[in-house]
Amino acid sequence: MDLLVQLLMEGDRTGAVAEAERLVGAGYRKEELVSGGLEVAMKGLDSKCTLEEFNLLEIMVAGRAVMDVMKRLYPPGTNPPATGGTVVIATPEGDVHDLGKNILRFILTANGYRVVDCGRDCPVATIVEAAREEGARAVCVSGLITSVIPVVRQIRGSLAARGLDGVRVVAGGAALKQAVPADLDVDYVCDSAFDAAHWLDADRGADP
Amino acid sequence: MNSIERVVTTLGGGTPDRVPVIAQVFGHAAGVGGESLALYLRDGKIFARCQIAALERYEYDAVFALMDASVETEAVGSTLAWHEGRYPVVASYALQDARHLGRLRQPDPERDGRMPELLRAARILREEVGDETLVVGCVLGPLTIAAQMLGMEKALYLAVDDPERFEAVLDFATSVAIAFGRAQLDAGVHLPVVFDPASSPAVVPPRYFREVELPRLRDLFSALRTGGSAASWLHIVGPVAPILPLFPEAGVEIANFDYPVDADEAMRALPETCLDGNIKSLSFVTASPEAIAREAGALIDAFSGRGRFILSSGCEIPLEAKEENVAAMVGAVRGSV
Repeated sequence: MDLLVQLLMEGDRTGAVAEAERLVGAGYRKEELVSGGLEVAMKGLDSKCTLEEFNLLEIMVAGRAVMDVMKRLYPPGTNPPATGGTVVIATPEGDVHDLGKNILRFILTANGYRVVDCGRDCPVATIVEAAREEGARAVCVSGLITSVIPVVRQIRGSLAARGLDGVRVVAGGAALKQAVPADLDVDYVCDSAFDAAHWLDADRGADP
Repeated sequence: MNSIERVVTTLGGGTPDRVPVIAQVFGHAAGVGGESLALYLRDGKIFARCQIAALERYEYDAVFALMDASVETEAVGSTLAWHEGRYPVVASYALQDARHLGRLRQPDPERDGRMPELLRAARILREEVGDETLVVGCVLGPLTIAAQMLGMEKALYLAVDDPERFEAVLDFATSVAIAFGRAQLDAGVHLPVVFDPASSPAVVPPRYFREVELPRLRDLFSALRTGGSAASWLHIVGPVAPILPLFPEAGVEIANFDYPVDADEAMRALPETCLDGNIKSLSFVTASPEAIAREAGALIDAFSGRGRFILSSGCEIPLEAKEENVAAMVGAVRGSV
C-alpha cells in the first residue's frame, strides 16, 4: 500500500491506477485501498499543505491521480463508500471560478464523503434544492470574488425556509476566506479545502 | 512634493513629505464616476474619466490604466462573457489545445481586443495628470496570461504533463506582455505594474516560480525598463513570503505584499526593496472607516524607521467597497513622514 500512497502523492496517475489494480488482483478489498491508500495519501498531502505550502498545482495533480483510482475502483453506476454523509458543493451565483470547488470535490470524495456538485455560478435556490433532495448534512461554497458575499449570506436563511435548519454551511475560497463566519452567516470559514474536510470531520464527531 | 516626486523619493530610500498612498482602485472607479462597469471596461474615454473622478474623490498618488485580467487573452483570441456589474470572464479560451500554439499570432496592441481602448485611456490619463500623479499601466505576468489563454486547470496540468510545450506557451505570453507593456509606455504610462496572481505560492510551488516564471519576469521587466518604465513593480497576491526574497533577481523595485504576509515578514524578506501593501481587500467592504484608519496607521508605524513603503491594499479594492473606507486609508497618510 505504501507504493500506492507514494504514487498518489506524486500525482503519478498511470502508476497509481496500475498499482491499485495490482493490489486488487492481490486480494485487497476496494475499501481497504480507499482507507489505506487514498485517504492516507490525502492525509499526507494535508499535513504537507500548511498554509505556506498549499499550492494548487501539487494538489490538483495528486487529486487527479486519486480520482483516476476512484474511477477504476468504482466505475459509473457503483458507489464509493460514503461514511461522511452527503455534502453539496457549489460556486455561488456571480462567480464562475470553480477550481477551488473542484479541489474540494476530490478531497471530500477521497475522505469518504458523497459529494453533489452543483457547479459554478449557481443560484441559492439550486443549492438548497440539492441539499433537500440529496439529504445533505452540509453545503460548502467557494468564492474567488467578494461580490458573491451577499449571495452566500442568503444560503442559511433559504435552507431554514425549506426546513433544513440542521444543514451546516461552510465557505472558503480566496475572497470568502477573508471573512469571518458572522460576515457570511455561515457555520465555518475554511482556509483551504483540507480545512473544510477537517471541520466536517469534527462536526460529525469523527477523528479529524 | 507632488505624487511622482513622493513616490520617486520613497523608491530611492529618501524621506518624502508623507507616505505615498496608492489605492488599488480599478473597477471601483466606474461607480465613483457614475458609469456602468461594462462601459468603463470597454471605452477608454469613459474609463479615463472615471479614474480621474476617483483621483479627485480620494486624492491618492496614482491612477491606473488597468481594466481586468482578460485584456491580453481577449486580444489573443479568447471570447469573453459579460454580465452586468461583473468583470468579464473567458467564455472560450484562445488556446483550446496547446499543440496549436503556432496558429496564434501575437496581438497588435493598437488593434486587437480592448488593448486600443486601454491605450486610449492611458493617453488621456497622462494628458490629464502630466507628471503630477503616477499613471500606472498593467500587464499580466507570463504564467497568468498562459492560464488565461488555456484555462487555469488545463494550464497547470500541462505544466506537469508536458513542461516543454507549456514553456513555449509561457514564451508566447512573455512576448504578449512585453509588446503590450511597451505600447502602454508609448501611450504615456509611467510604469506598467506586472500582475501575476497565477504565480502565487497558493497556485504553484516556490520552486516552480523560481525555475520557470522568474527568468521570464526578469526578461519582461528588462524589456519594460528599456521601453522607459520608471520602475519595476511586481504584484503577486496571497501567501507570497516564500518567494519575496527572489524578487530582486527579476529586477523588482516595488513589491506588493498581500494580507497573509505581515509587514515585518515582508521587510525581512526584502530589506532593500520598496514594499506596497497590505490592507485586506475585503475590509474595504466590511470594516468601518475607523478600523481601516487604525490598520493603515499601524502599517505606517511599522515602516516608519525603514521607509521605502507605499500604503495600499493587499490586492484590488473591491467594486463594492465603501467609499468612506477608501477615503479612510488615504486620510491615514496625512501628516505621516
